[in-house]
Amino acid sequence: MKTVATFVVNGHPHEIAVEPHQLLIEVLRDHLGLTGTKHSCGVGNCGACTVLVDGIPKLACLTVAREVRDKPILTIEGLAKDGVLHPLQQAFVDYGAIQCGYCTPGMILTAKALLDGNPDPTEHEVREALAGNICRCTGYVKIVEAVLAAAEVMRKGGN
Amino acid sequence: MTEPIVHTDQFTGRSAGGDSAGFSVVGTRIRQPDGPAKATGEAKFAGDISLPGMLIGKILRSPYAHAVVKSIDTSRAEALPGVMAILTPDNVAEWDTFDRGMKDMPLVAGGYRVPPEEAVVNKVARHFGDAIAAVAAVDEHTAEEAIELLDVEYEILPFVLDAEEAMQPGAPQVSELAPGNVGKHLFYPYPEGDVDKALAEADLVVSGVFSTHKQDHCTQETAACVAYVDASGRLNVWSQCQLAHLGRRELAHIFRIPVSRIKLMTPFVGGSFGQRGSVCAEPIAVALALRSKRPVRLVFSREDNFLGLESRTGFKSIDIKLGFASDGTLTAIKTSMIGSLGGYMGCGPMSSVIGMTLSMGHYRCPNRFGEAQMVMTNTPVSGAMRGFGNDAMMFCIEQLMDDAARRLGIDPIEIRLKNAKQPGETASMGLELESTYIEDCMRAGAEAFGWYEKRAQPKKDEGPIKRGYGMATMSHCTGAAPLYLEHSNAMVKFNEDGSVDLTVHPAPVGTHIWGALSQICAEELGIRAEDVNIVTGDTDVTLFEYGSDASRSTYAIGGATLRAAHKAKEQMLAHAAEMLEVPAEQLMVRDRVISVEGRPDKTVTVGEVCYDAIYAFGGHATNFAGKQSFEPVWNSPTYGAYFAEVEVNTETGRVRVPRFVTAIDCGKAINPMAVEGQLEGGLQQGLGYALTENFIVNPKTGVVETDNYDSYKVPGTLDMPDSTVIIVDKPDPKGPFGAKGVGEPGMVGIPPCIANAIYDAIGVRLQDLPMTPERVLEALELAGRESA
Repeated sequence: MKTVATFVVNGHPHEIAVEPHQLLIEVLRDHLGLTGTKHSCGVGNCGACTVLVDGIPKLACLTVAREVRDKPILTIEGLAKDGVLHPLQQAFVDYGAIQCGYCTPGMILTAKALLDGNPDPTEHEVREALAGNICRCTGYVKIVEAVLAAAEVMRKGGN
Repeated sequence: MTEPIVHTDQFTGRSAGGDSAGFSVVGTRIRQPDGPAKATGEAKFAGDISLPGMLIGKILRSPYAHAVVKSIDTSRAEALPGVMAILTPDNVAEWDTFDRGMKDMPLVAGGYRVPPEEAVVNKVARHFGDAIAAVAAVDEHTAEEAIELLDVEYEILPFVLDAEEAMQPGAPQVSELAPGNVGKHLFYPYPEGDVDKALAEADLVVSGVFSTHKQDHCTQETAACVAYVDASGRLNVWSQCQLAHLGRRELAHIFRIPVSRIKLMTPFVGGSFGQRGSVCAEPIAVALALRSKRPVRLVFSREDNFLGLESRTGFKSIDIKLGFASDGTLTAIKTSMIGSLGGYMGCGPMSSVIGMTLSMGHYRCPNRFGEAQMVMTNTPVSGAMRGFGNDAMMFCIEQLMDDAARRLGIDPIEIRLKNAKQPGETASMGLELESTYIEDCMRAGAEAFGWYEKRAQPKKDEGPIKRGYGMATMSHCTGAAPLYLEHSNAMVKFNEDGSVDLTVHPAPVGTHIWGALSQICAEELGIRAEDVNIVTGDTDVTLFEYGSDASRSTYAIGGATLRAAHKAKEQMLAHAAEMLEVPAEQLMVRDRVISVEGRPDKTVTVGEVCYDAIYAFGGHATNFAGKQSFEPVWNSPTYGAYFAEVEVNTETGRVRVPRFVTAIDCGKAINPMAVEGQLEGGLQQGLGYALTENFIVNPKTGVVETDNYDSYKVPGTLDMPDSTVIIVDKPDPKGPFGAKGVGEPGMVGIPPCIANAIYDAIGVRLQDLPMTPERVLEALELAGRESA
């Protein structure tokens, strides 16, 4: 049976009627039209659907929507501020870390959680943090470069 | 009046000599125009498209490897509220059958046609996961429930999974189109000499029987399509097809409607690697839209992707012999392949012809023969994936080349150099070889890797870990001329501010092609890459485009772009010449400014010229625009050298690759960052193909056991080597500004390179892909028994 719950997505509260079994990815994509959260494996193997809940990476394809009601949810659409790309987004563009772009939102959000907790990671720490995110295009080289470059920008006071 | 298609012109040969120092846009590491859209979630992929009243499609797939659908009782599903259309084998007969490979075009050599063998949904399931019914319903859950409510009565048939077993007398018949299950018996199209005589007379013959496997493309976005019939009766399709205009033609054929009644649009595509070169989600999505008279979105699940799409053609056996003179000269190559096509032929058969052809790209060899039996089996369909058979042939040839070097006491690099073709010799497809810098690749790669130093070092005792170093080379095509049609088009239109709209239709699958085309266009026009707006993705707007495959986009679509830009530029400069009152031949244009040498007073911007022409009252207004059809009937191969360090754990059999160097001759790199990206990404796919990825079909049941990433291991961040990419960066005489293709080469040379390094580590040859821990341990045990 549907019940109404509040989902605080990218800073905005939304009252949405959800079924008990409904997944967060459905709420984001189908109810809110936030299609930047990508569906790929459907079972938590690839990281494409990663969003941040309370700052922590969550796989939206495995997360029951009602479990995250009232909690702050950040999707890729909420990362740029006033039309200015977040340093991670800018670095992904600048370093050629985006090819098909399908893994990009999940990669960027996973990397954001890493950098928020560890502003100066080693390359190996970046690779460990992104180990659950599959990319089939880049071989990860430029993604890792971009994360390290963004970390430097953020340490120097970029937003 | 029809305009002739360009074959050769003033642009071919223009970049010979390599005046790349004079470029202002080509060769720079520009950002991709689609980067911000993809970094912010704004980019729309097919599965992101929503239309009012849109239904969701789902597919019912066969749980048996081979079965006849006797009946499907749809009554329970029809009774479910929200179910709007159901497709069954009995109600799709109004539509035509099709060849999912879409390649029914004349081929110059080794050609064949695949019969239209597949229906929208099929009466006979020829493999586990074959589509036998589909539904469209108001939402995903209803569609899923409706699929559950379809009551199917099957007649289970005997099946055959193994290509060699399928060739035996009395084996179950997969298709009536292939008596004896041999779908196609094909031959290497450029045979020469007398291969048996040459092998008999050779000082050394090295040989082996190898096998390769059915790698899944694992595109991060699964197959998806949105279709609807608009109020005027036109079919609108958002398709992922790499070959948009061929996709439109195929849909017109299947649904028996004129091409003019179809508008095919290409949104962003989350990876392709050859898989979307075939018809994927489109036929069922369109059929559901036609039947329901509502918009329909069909997105494949990951399982659908593994079962319902083409994956790489695996070869059950490649029996191959190379003959050499004692000085290391290659004298003969003889190949006999048995390939597994799966339940439909699709693109699979051509893997053999392409593989045998391309693999002859870089070594001179006077005696050549090859044949392939491409066999139907009750397994998911095989087709084209990055490399398209060249990967399989290189896996064999480059290991045998190493064997020959060792037995003849020649350095592995020197034996390859000795046999490397030179410009002016005949390239792989019977055409004259335009450019090759394979020696530069090997020399630069060896230096970066420390090849000679590492090979000379005595092996350290690392316990169960054995360390080894290997190398391999390859050449690959740039487009598929003369085997396939290479027809591309581009249109360049100036705006009044001096910017241009470039209309082209490459596949937006993530290859940075928009950026490369904008650079080619901007370089020719003397403007900046960001001044070029890419207009694309709609067959109503774009001129005919064969599409993106065979590593052709930069070369062929780039070639069309260069020539179309030149036409627009000539018009623009003619007008500028009038404005500046100097002959057009004296004008130079760079960084948006037109100038005259030695006349600093005579300058005008491109924008001023365009504005003057567009807002020219009095009967002289004009909009500069150039359009060019381009069909390169030549093909300039790309070359690469690969170097790997491996650690083989002799207790677990696990192979780790800590270091990898790729050196590439892809002509002039239009954008070095994009070229690096192709090679770095190719390494991930090549590594997975070599070591960990394995499409497993249960031999007893025919059930596919690998249907997601938990059972099918693609390399992640922690599996990747420390990787270095070297771009030789020397221009080809015919490519646009000297560019050649670079899409596929990234992965082609990787499996043999790793295999050669494994041999160096443990002294054992692995001839079967993937080189899993089990196979490494088996090979070690066998070698131990043989030496005991």
